[in-house]
Amino acid sequence: MTHTVLVCDDAIFMRTMISDILTQAGFEIVGEAESGSQAVEKYRTLKPDLVTMDIVMPDMGGIEAVREICRTDPEAKILMCSAMGQQALVVEAIQAGAKDFVVKPFQPSRVLEAVQRVLG
Amino acid sequence: MDLSKYAALFLAESREHLSSCNQLLLRWERDPAASDPVGGLFRSIHTIKGMGATMGFSGVAELAHRLESLLDALRQGRMTADARTFQLLFRAVDALGLAVESAAAGREVTPDAALASALDEAIGGAGRPVPAGAPVADAGPPRRRATDRPRGRSVQVMIRSDAVMRGARAVLAVRRAEVLGLVSAVRPPMVQLEREEFDGRLAFRIESGATDQEVAAAIRTAGEVEAVLFGTPSAAADGVERHRQIRVDLARLDRLMKQVGELVAARNRLGILAAGAGNAALAELSDRISRLVSEMQAEVIASRMTPVGEVFERFPRLVRDLARELGKRIRFDMEGEEIELDRSILDEIGDPLLHLIRNAADHGIESPEVRVRGGKPAEGRILLSATRERNSVALRVSDDGAGIDRAAILAQAAPRELADVAPDALSDDLLLRVIARPGFSTARAVSGVSGRGVGVDVAMTRVRALGGTLEIGSEVGKGTTFTIRVPLTLAIVRALLADAGGERYAVPLAYVAETVEFDARAVTALRSREALVVREQVIPTVHLRDLVASREHPAPARRPTVILEVGERRTALVVDALLGQQDIVVAPFDAPRGMPPYVGGATILADGAPALVLDAAALL
Repeated sequence: MTHTVLVCDDAIFMRTMISDILTQAGFEIVGEAESGSQAVEKYRTLKPDLVTMDIVMPDMGGIEAVREICRTDPEAKILMCSAMGQQALVVEAIQAGAKDFVVKPFQPSRVLEAVQRVLG
Repeated sequence: MDLSKYAALFLAESREHLSSCNQLLLRWERDPAASDPVGGLFRSIHTIKGMGATMGFSGVAELAHRLESLLDALRQGRMTADARTFQLLFRAVDALGLAVESAAAGREVTPDAALASALDEAIGGAGRPVPAGAPVADAGPPRRRATDRPRGRSVQVMIRSDAVMRGARAVLAVRRAEVLGLVSAVRPPMVQLEREEFDGRLAFRIESGATDQEVAAAIRTAGEVEAVLFGTPSAAADGVERHRQIRVDLARLDRLMKQVGELVAARNRLGILAAGAGNAALAELSDRISRLVSEMQAEVIASRMTPVGEVFERFPRLVRDLARELGKRIRFDMEGEEIELDRSILDEIGDPLLHLIRNAADHGIESPEVRVRGGKPAEGRILLSATRERNSVALRVSDDGAGIDRAAILAQAAPRELADVAPDALSDDLLLRVIARPGFSTARAVSGVSGRGVGVDVAMTRVRALGGTLEIGSEVGKGTTFTIRVPLTLAIVRALLADAGGERYAVPLAYVAETVEFDARAVTALRSREALVVREQVIPTVHLRDLVASREHPAPARRPTVILEVGERRTALVVDALLGQQDIVVAPFDAPRGMPPYVGGATILADGAPALVLDAAALL
């Protein structure tokens, strides 16, 4: 069965790139979000198997979104997408319930490895 | 999953534990009533078992499991250790070492069935015999032990060195473990992990009903995990203060050392340029760089330093086995195990020491009967010691045995060049030259231990290759002492300083056989080359003045001659004067074009003046 993914990032470039990597690997992108609050809302309606989450986004940040999503679904499988130098934020996201992380610039193989780990 | 990349780690850790096992066994055998060796043994074997099982080395895991069962029975007092038990334990530890080495090399050996049944038999009804071919997964720790260890198992995790955000990865690994049980005693503490203030290794304890394999698998889902190991990290050194350490490939340190050497050379050039530029700011900067480079060089040298104890520790077992084999009683003591040496020298020093220790046990120490007849205690003594001497380390192998019978040595050496030397005129230096001759042996029968002639000569060659020296002191009836002196590090070499035409040259002492006075009457010709007759040996001669085309000052009337020796080949190097010995740091040399081949490098002498280092091999 194809796994469904919700891609959250405020940059179209990043959303496109992640979508491409995952689509090529056979995943189905069921939605995109450009802010934390959109991510929370779309998670509720779409119930994706996996969420990729940018950390810094307008209106509601990625970490707060993780906290919010995990409050309703502790089993949510969220993969953080971080930039270099954001280790403290990544740690915070993990404590909030994120299951794994990848660091930009993305290497497709690393992204897919992380996705496989998260989906178990 | 590809486990091959953990093989090196597995091997290194297992070796440490096996070495510690040998030490503990020796201590236990000496004092069977002592209770702590068996505990340490049990822990080490248990750790090896866990690692072996994780690696999928079923041979290692099964043997370790049997050995562990026997140790457990001994530890619990269900049986007591007698001489046969110790023999069996030694044998099993050896076999385990072999299994570990071959498994790590990619070829698992077939388990020794005889040993396995001997172990099972020894355990007998007291233990928990292993069904043949028991699945590796069953080789986990017995559940019962969870209760005698209230805080669960110790887990070590290594994050890959090329991973990004290793701190966050470590946090993730801890979180994954927490899913399976109660995690405590995280080292370094979580706050440090979060800030990536660690070297990629973390350890914690986990209380969980899951097997080692399940725990390892869960931790690995954190990603970028290099290795997961079970057991106390300090089991090999119980009670010893643990330093935070990281394993570094020696080749990397070698490159670093080489680069620092080049940096030193560049710094020296900068110093000269800055001094001539008349720019105060530049001169100050050059001074600062100079200091920093010196400090860096010292740090790099320090990072390569390893205690000699690492090499020493295999010898007690060796001497014990030798003594048995030879029917002798030998007490073996070690001193100065904490003295440090450059890792690459340490790796080379084991063999020479082995030969000298074998010699001491075989030729030095007499049989108990002979000793008692000679008024000595029946038990002989061999002492292996290390002492730091400025820029070198002296390693001594002394025995209180028979000493070397000089008359017998001369009888053996005759009718060669020593025929006219009286036994009491045979100096220690000459004695060493004779017995260090390839193939020399006075042993009446080849004993299988030493006496094949490959003892002192091998030691001598190896030590010389390191830029070191070998000395001997021997007294009939009292014993023999061999002293190896090696530089602390390969970057520092002991050299003989010589003058030719007012310039100073350094000759590495390792290649200096002796120095003699140049005697014009002893000059002869050897294949149309000038040669010198020294004790009836014809040695080709090289005048350093001619070589460097010096026309400064007239040559002095009395000229010392340095006899260089590389392997079997010799050359007499005639110089103007000898200026003593000095430890020099040989700087890698960017030879300008046209630099003659006999220049091996350059150095700055203690007084700050530069000198060329002669390459002895190129002068032959």
